Amino acid sequence: MAIVTISTSNSRPPPINEATLIGWMRMHLFSSPLNSILTILTTYIIYLTVSGVWVWGVVDAIWIADTRRECFDINISGACWAGVSAWMENIFYGRYPREEIWRIDFGLFLLFLWMAPLWMPRVRGKVIIGMTTVFLYPFLAGYLFSGGDKGIFMSVMVSAAIVGIIANTLNATLGVLADRSLSNFVNNKLGFGNAPEEKQQKVFLIFLAVCFVLAYIWQSGWQAEIVSWTKWGGLFLTLVISGIGIASALPGGIILAMGRRSKLPVIRVLSTAFIELFRSVPLITVLFMATTMFPLFMPEGVVLNKLVQVIIAVCLFNACYMAETVRAGLQAIPKGQAEGAHTIGLGYWGTMGLIVMPQALKHMIPNIVGSFMGLLKDTTLVSIIGLFDILGMLRSISRDTPWLGLHKEPLVFGAMLFFIICFAMSKYSRHLEAKLSTGHKV
Amino acid sequence: MAIDGDIKKAVHVKPKEEFDFFNDERVRSVFYQILTACVVGFCVWYLISTTAHNLEARGMSSGFGFLTSEAGFDTDFKLVEYVPGVGTYGDIFIIGMLNTLYISALAIIATTILGFIIGVLRLSNNWMISKAALAYVEIIRNTPLLIQVIFWYTGIFSLLPRIKNSLDLSGGSELILLNNRGLYMPWPVPGDLLWLTEATVVIVIIGIVVFKRWAKKKQDDTGQITGTFLPSAAAIILLPGAVYLMSGSPLGWDIPTLQGFNFQGGATVPPAFLALLVALIVYHTAHLAESVRAGILSVNRGQHDAAKALGLRQNRVFSLVVIPQAMPAIVPPMISLWMNVVKNSSLAIAIGYPDLVAVFMQTSLNQAGHAIEIVGMTMGFYMFVSLTISWLLNIYNKRVQLVER
Repeated sequence: MAIVTISTSNSRPPPINEATLIGWMRMHLFSSPLNSILTILTTYIIYLTVSGVWVWGVVDAIWIADTRRECFDINISGACWAGVSAWMENIFYGRYPREEIWRIDFGLFLLFLWMAPLWMPRVRGKVIIGMTTVFLYPFLAGYLFSGGDKGIFMSVMVSAAIVGIIANTLNATLGVLADRSLSNFVNNKLGFGNAPEEKQQKVFLIFLAVCFVLAYIWQSGWQAEIVSWTKWGGLFLTLVISGIGIASALPGGIILAMGRRSKLPVIRVLSTAFIELFRSVPLITVLFMATTMFPLFMPEGVVLNKLVQVIIAVCLFNACYMAETVRAGLQAIPKGQAEGAHTIGLGYWGTMGLIVMPQALKHMIPNIVGSFMGLLKDTTLVSIIGLFDILGMLRSISRDTPWLGLHKEPLVFGAMLFFIICFAMSKYSRHLEAKLSTGHKV
Repeated sequence: MAIDGDIKKAVHVKPKEEFDFFNDERVRSVFYQILTACVVGFCVWYLISTTAHNLEARGMSSGFGFLTSEAGFDTDFKLVEYVPGVGTYGDIFIIGMLNTLYISALAIIATTILGFIIGVLRLSNNWMISKAALAYVEIIRNTPLLIQVIFWYTGIFSLLPRIKNSLDLSGGSELILLNNRGLYMPWPVPGDLLWLTEATVVIVIIGIVVFKRWAKKKQDDTGQITGTFLPSAAAIILLPGAVYLMSGSPLGWDIPTLQGFNFQGGATVPPAFLALLVALIVYHTAHLAESVRAGILSVNRGQHDAAKALGLRQNRVFSLVVIPQAMPAIVPPMISLWMNVVKNSSLAIAIGYPDLVAVFMQTSLNQAGHAIEIVGMTMGFYMFVSLTISWLLNIYNKRVQLVER
């Protein structure tokens, strides 16, 4: 016999209104007794940490002093930022001659000038801008930083880079102001405005060649003072090493990843072995290998300096990590894409270059930026084998007589610097990912 | 009939294949492979021959004979017997390997536990906790590990009080002491009858496994739930405890005591060890927390809602529905993180903890030369470890795939 009671049970309370501050707090901070205790405990720990750091780093900190002793005399419990600020130039530029520092700043400015058009929506020819950044800028910057006798090869590359930067800047200016490309503008001025496109291209190339000759003549008239690589240091050296690493890691990684996914067994086995070899050992062992074994590999009379050894090691190491990132991206692209490309008659390189790789790279943007951040952070390891990169400089503060034993403050400063750079990079990669995502969200 | 045959013939006629030697795919692939093999082979041959030539020109010997010659230096942390002046480079290699594996193993265990906790806290409904976890993860992940290692060493563990004013971590009983020479703690000295207690622990664990299986079978068959946690916990504590007491407490403790200027007895770990251990744990916990969070988020929200709709409590929703499904997404990054712990422990060299790279690749290489052999052995060790770990990963992946079908 079924018993049916007809009486209303007590109605449940309405859900908490999250729109008000009190409601939000009840929902997210004090939803249960345990949660309330945890909230209060966490708040207390955060308060202790933040106030401790604040008092040490700001309230009690000493900003102006000549020695560490003086810092102690003023306030022993505060941070001694005076030591860091006394070494500020060293931290950024190393022991680069002070009167030549403008060259580093100028080099960075040129890089900014070169890459800025990539962010301007109305500028034409972004692929060419990107390619010239990777293939021409490093030579111009390299010469700017090291100076000395140019030699034929460097003369050619520097002149090409000068033409590149001028053409790039003019192209960007025209793009923003008049919404047209440099090629178009030159052709109009020379009276070929109505000529067919192929002819316009030829005219533009001839124009560039003339500029190149002019630049070559101009650059052979001066020479930058030589600065030995042993004087390079600080954040500048870190950026040089990681910059070259980044510029070479992506192409190297793409080649290795394609080799690992190749159908040809010899190429596949060799690429796989190479990638796995470098991925399974720590970077520091690769750096030691570079400094101890590379000299044995070189034919007699050829001496690589330590910086070159380190850069080669960093490039090899990072290309292998990038290869795995790219391979993961390639695996995520459905097979139908490659098959579709084959059907419309594209060969291997066409399929890879036009269809599969662009999708794979776009897919992996956050991971690629993550690898770059890892590379930037890993570059600090070169301080262990005796290069004075930013960490090497930060550590030498504690060995400088007036600041003997000053360890904490330089390291905290360095950590903050890296945090700002890496955090900005990761935030930007999220933005880029959102901007470029054209696929359907599942 | 005739027409039929004609049709058959017509069907079976193959189109004449024109063999174009230069555009045939097979010829090309063979050609490319031979070309690659030749280029790589030439590079290898060139490297080997120049190296041999250079070694000869500089009068350097090669071979592994140096491993049996004595190394004239000592390391300040070792897990095996070693007498400086008598011990060989081979011994140094073993000490280095053990030191690397020891600190990596400790760091891996702690990281795995803490990483899961922080990863779950990151997803906590409690705003304060999730934001605190986020701040921790972001700060740690965006600064170089090497800076953190050096910071822990020079900024924290080297600035601890001297031996006379050691910090007492055991609350006034002076058993566990921390000072700028390291951490001093009591070390167990097993007695004769300790094997009885150890055997009991093993038996109890086997018993618990059987008990759990039985409880699960019972739940599958009848639907009745048998609580296993409390009985198991009681058994694992009480039974070995009783045996231990009955056999006369066969475990002595070697306690550190201050004699002269230093502590004698007990176990000691140097500050560099502590600094590296803490740095490795803090750094990799932040990374693992991100993987755990991503893994849990990868489980469809509907699974969570459906489990709640069935009436499961929040912790059961997690332990029975969400976590088991998140594991396949968490374990692969977790295992490659373990590999990273082993590799990153090589940063010990910056603060003087005698790991493999520091004692073998730096000190021994500087003293004995033999760059090729030493670099090869060191890299070989790391490769062996990472191959072992990725082998484990493959086993796991296979098992998960079988379950998934």
